Amino acid sequence: MLLRGIGKRYGDGPWVLSGVDLDLTAGEVVAVVGTNGAGKSTLLRLLVGLSRPTVGDIRGRPASIGYVPDRFPPHERMSARAYLIHMGRIRGLRTEPAARRADELIERLALVGGAGTSVRRLSKGNAQKIVLAQALLVPPDLLVLDEPWSGLDTATHTVLAELVAEVGHAGGSVVFTDHREAIAAAYSHRMLRIAGGRVSAHEAVGVTIELRPVGDAPVTLAGHPGVTEVRERQDAVVVLVADEQRDALLRTALAGGWSVLSVRR
Amino acid sequence: MTALVRYVLASVVHSQRYLPPYLVFLAVMGILTSNDAGSLLPIYAVAAGVELMCATWLTIVVANADDPGQRAITVVNAGGSGRVLVATVLVTAAGCVVMTLFGLFFPLTSGRHRLTVPVVAIGTAAMLTAACTGMAIGLLCARPVIRRTGIMVLTAIGAMLVFLLVPGVPPVNPVFHLLAGDQPPAHPVGPMLLFGAIAVLLLAGSTALARFFIVRRD
Repeated sequence: MLLRGIGKRYGDGPWVLSGVDLDLTAGEVVAVVGTNGAGKSTLLRLLVGLSRPTVGDIRGRPASIGYVPDRFPPHERMSARAYLIHMGRIRGLRTEPAARRADELIERLALVGGAGTSVRRLSKGNAQKIVLAQALLVPPDLLVLDEPWSGLDTATHTVLAELVAEVGHAGGSVVFTDHREAIAAAYSHRMLRIAGGRVSAHEAVGVTIELRPVGDAPVTLAGHPGVTEVRERQDAVVVLVADEQRDALLRTALAGGWSVLSVRR
Repeated sequence: MTALVRYVLASVVHSQRYLPPYLVFLAVMGILTSNDAGSLLPIYAVAAGVELMCATWLTIVVANADDPGQRAITVVNAGGSGRVLVATVLVTAAGCVVMTLFGLFFPLTSGRHRLTVPVVAIGTAAMLTAACTGMAIGLLCARPVIRRTGIMVLTAIGAMLVFLLVPGVPPVNPVFHLLAGDQPPAHPVGPMLLFGAIAVLLLAGSTALARFFIVRRD
């Protein structure tokens, strides 16, 4: 699937996205990171065809698309199972296979509250599981998920990771967003960053190192190789550095008047 | 399309919001026809007027059954917003046929009337004309064309009043005058066909316009 020169604005509003070129290959898992309101959801809506680009071309969008929006269907009164069977039938399954697949996904995602509970009485996390399940009733050629890791418990994180990987292994492309880089990096093959309406390739950050100055004039770390971000805290700085440069950075920092408070992946 | 129609229907039935328009329709029919023994045509004329309002209401109920987040999922699974719009129109049309059947035969339960084939045919045509017009209004007043409830209600009421009360505005107002007048024609086939055709065209135009607005909004 190819996106070429995509720009999007709503009415006469500002450009949410501009000059976006993107190639998605089969079997690839792509994470999109960016701050709130950067245009992540807009990009996803363009990918699934809910939204049309103001300028540019989208070519080769597959027919079988699974979409997991970040908002859940809170008003649905029918049972979780009935809802999934309806969605399966809309995707072209017959009732029997749709029911079987729905039961399978309900079991794998460990839906609490039961398949017979109406969707609106499920907790937020369990409603999110239903939204996830509807996207996977038919193996999608394109799976698009908006902040899927938010609101799910750790056990479900593992299942979600498996489900995403399975779509990739079956030859489908997966695109998901997350505002946390650690999560985005852990579950994807490559990352994209959206900032200022532009989409660019983004490297995994590696490690977060927290440092405290001990000397009078500690060396500046911002220009060190591999450093992607330096954040000032009250009496410390937090440095994000690429994996292969972390030892070099630590040596420089220790020799240059810094004390290490913590190192986290 | 069958699966989509089934889902929209199930979604509307579960929401129970379809009940008020039907109850209002039945209540008004009950008030109008109690112990009546006259001609059926004036009753059918009024029923058509009420059906215009209730069909508009029902259309908005069906179109708004899915909340926006849910609708996004349905649209992606169905393969396009156009298909969801068509399913909405089909479910509403089926609902209007049920309402028309109530309107045709309810007067017989409460009063003494002589039912003849031409009278039933004229009544059916009048009510379906009103139903199509109501659906045409409803499609353009509902989400996702109009999203704010206040504006939705005011626009719908305004449009209904124009079609019902402004003399000569086709197709419902002339039908009303034709059937409720002192001397209803014996076989008003020509005008009924004309107004029926106008109503169907209105519905088709409204569907196309709703599609245009939905696509532009996306």
